[in-house]
Formats: sequence, structure tokens, C-alpha cells
Amino acid sequence: MNSESIDFRFFIECDSNPFIIFNSQGKIIYLNNTAELLLGHVTQYELYEIALGYAPQSFGSKTTLLELQYAIFTFFALSVAYEDEEQIGLRLYQKPRNESRRVLEMDQYTPADINALLEANITFFKLQNDNKLSLLVDQDLPLCRIDQNQFSKLIRKTLETFRASDAIEIILKLLIGEYIIIKEKKELVAQLIIKANGRYSANDRDIKEIAQSNLIDCIFKERSIELHIPMIRD
Amino acid sequence: MPHQFFTHSKQVQAIIKGLNLTKSLQVSSILMGEPYTGKKSLISNIYPDAVYADGGDRESVKQLLGEHEELVITNFEKLTGATLDFNNRRIIAIYNSTIQSKTIDNLFAFIYQMPSLRERPEDIDLFMGEFIKEIKSILLIKEEITIDPSMLDISDNIRSLKTSIYRQAFSQTSDAQEIQNIIYHYLYHHMKGKNDYHTYLPLYERPLIEAGLKKAGSQLKLAEMLGINRNTLRKKIHELRIH
Repeated sequence: MNSESIDFRFFIECDSNPFIIFNSQGKIIYLNNTAELLLGHVTQYELYEIALGYAPQSFGSKTTLLELQYAIFTFFALSVAYEDEEQIGLRLYQKPRNESRRVLEMDQYTPADINALLEANITFFKLQNDNKLSLLVDQDLPLCRIDQNQFSKLIRKTLETFRASDAIEIILKLLIGEYIIIKEKKELVAQLIIKANGRYSANDRDIKEIAQSNLIDCIFKERSIELHIPMIRD
Repeated sequence: MPHQFFTHSKQVQAIIKGLNLTKSLQVSSILMGEPYTGKKSLISNIYPDAVYADGGDRESVKQLLGEHEELVITNFEKLTGATLDFNNRRIIAIYNSTIQSKTIDNLFAFIYQMPSLRERPEDIDLFMGEFIKEIKSILLIKEEITIDPSMLDISDNIRSLKTSIYRQAFSQTSDAQEIQNIIYHYLYHHMKGKNDYHTYLPLYERPLIEAGLKKAGSQLKLAEMLGINRNTLRKKIHELRIH
């Protein structure tokens, strides 16, 4: 089979796994579309360090099983390849996401003001905790269809994980440039970030379950939880 | 007409604030706490026009859940094990216990714990004032009522507090005829017909000597006031073990 005339670039561009080629100085000389998105959440330097750290001892390629998470990206393995001293390629393998089996019942989603739900939850949290809270919210977020009870439960459980922190920072804003397709409609995404100097992780499973069943992405970090909430319109 | 609800407790005020914030949201809230802490009065104050369902009647709760977008469920503890659909509704449940189960955690977005009266002593004076006003109005009492705080009973929260205040008020304002009636009924129900004179004599003698001692200040003076020999008085004090 003669593959010399085939242009592989288009196929690599479309791959849902990030692929990056660095030069010997760590500068990116090629990256596909998914890698471009990934670079919004991790530095080029960190990825280059990973490529060097997991590179094979001599020319060729090496695949390593490794759990990596950057925001909504979760990887289970990576491959590093090089055939000369000038270029090194890194490919990260995305972990398949569990497809939600829940059929989205739009009747259950009623128009609500996310800010009002967040305020009620913060008041509730303050009832039992005296942590210092700082709040940065976009008051102009439009109404969106949401299961208000489930969303409130999600916020309650998320805030609870920070109950031992001295100070908690809450940020609610629109995620500029990101959309989610729901029922063939492009919907805006709101981002709720709750961060502090540490948190408990006992609620993580519950949080993930509630979030997943409501099409909300959640990103757990050591000191923060980030929720990406679809702003479903009518 | 909604029940009136009074509080000086910051914790209860925060619960009120939280419930008010969710008044227009379709979320489920539960107010848990010991019985007689004022949970129902608080809820009926915030939701005067809501439909109420008693958790003791499962069928009625299910029927009302299907008919109304806003529902207050009292005695929620009696609904254990029932399958309930709270979606797209504003549910406010009243639960007479402080133990939070997994079911409650799953069903409710907002779980409030109503403090007992022991945990909010600042409310005792408030309730006391209201109950005294109520007693004076019901029993047509004009004179002032002085409540002895050491005789207040908050073991069963507002209920026992109210009872202890009523008893004190009644004992302070009763006239001789009423006291005689009380003693009459007591004796009628308790006399067994064996040495009863000596058994029930302290019923009269104890308050006579205790009140007299407080008033007179000394046994000598009290003996004079009562018109009895001081040795007889001393003997009585000893028999009744009055200190």
C-alpha cells in the first residue's frame, strides 16, 4: 500500500484526541483542533515537560497509561514519539465519557434565575457556617430552563465540601465562546466556580451524579469545583 | 388567619430569610426540629395562603401533590417510605425530629434545623410576654402576673413553657374559693381512706409555713403571726422538712 500521496493532516486535525508536535526548544510547531482547546486549560510548557518525561529512551514511540485531568478533559494514556532530535510528538487519549441514559424531560426544566437560586443557597450555607464568602456574579445572566430543586441540591452539596475553609470565592459568569448542543439547539454555558484553600471530597460522587443527570459538567480540583451549566432557553 | 410568630433568635431569623428567598422558586425545603418549637407557626406566617397536607394521610398528600404547585406537608415523619414526586413544585415540609435521613437529603434542596427553646433562650422572654397577655385576656385578669423563671418548664419546648406559665398565672390569681375547689378535686380523686388526715394535712400546712416564713423572716415572728406556740411551729417545720 502506497500511502505517500495521502495527506494525513486533515484526519489528525479532526481527531478528538489532542496531538501536538514540539521543536527541540519546546515551541509548538503543530497542533490539532482538540489540542488548541486543551491549551485553554494547561500551559504549553507543562505539556512539553510531560512529552520529555514520558519519551522513549531512543527514537521511536512509547505509550504510557496515565490519568490526567485538565478542566473537562480527562485522559487515560499518552503517546510520545520522535524520530530525530528536532521534533517530538505528544498524543493524549481522552477517556470516553459515560453517556447519560437519562432522557431529558424538558417539562421538568422551568425558567429560573440562576442568581436567585445561588443566593438562596448561599443564605442557607451561611446559616450553618461562618466562612468568609466573596461573590463575583454576573447579574445579567438570562433566565434559563433548569430543574430548580436538583440545581439547588447540587449547589448545597458543592458548598458543603468547602465548609472547613476560611474563605470561599464564588464566581458565576457566562463561559464566553463555549456552547452546548441540546435537542439540536446551541445553548450558552454558564460557569460557576467555587474555590477555597481546600475542600472535602466525600460529596464528589453525589455531586457528579446530580450534575450528570442535569447535563451539567463538573470539574473537581484539589481546591475548587467548577460547574458548567447549560443555559437552556425555551 | 396565619399564626403569629415571634423570635429574637438570629438562627431562626436566618431560617425565615432563607425560606423567604425560596418563596418564588420551585424548590423543596424541610424544616426539622423537636416538636413544639414553632415550626408550623413559622411556616404558616411565611406561606399564609398555601395548601396544607397532613403526612399522616398518605393518599391525601399524593392527591394534593398532583393538584397544587405549592404544598405544605405537616408531620412529614409519618410519610416514611412513601414515593413522592416533588418535581416542578414548591414543597415545604415540617418534620418533628432532628434526625436527618438519606431520603430527606435526596428529596430536599434546603434542609433547615429549627433550634429548640433550650438553644434559643432569647425567645423565652418573648413567648412569656405573649402568653401572659393571652392569659390575662382569656381569664380576664387585671392584676400583674410575676413569673418565677426557676419554675418555667421548657422540656417540651413552647408547649411545656406555655403550660408552666398558665399554671403560675393561675396560682397567683386564684381566690380562696378557687383554691378550695382545686383542693376539693384533688382530695376527691386521691383520698384512699387510710390515715388520710395526716397524709393530706401537709397540703395546707406546707404552703402556710413556707409563705409565712418568707413573709415573717423568722420562726419567732411567724409563731406570733399564726398564733401558735413556737415549739409547735418548730416541730411542724421539722416534720415537713422545710429548710
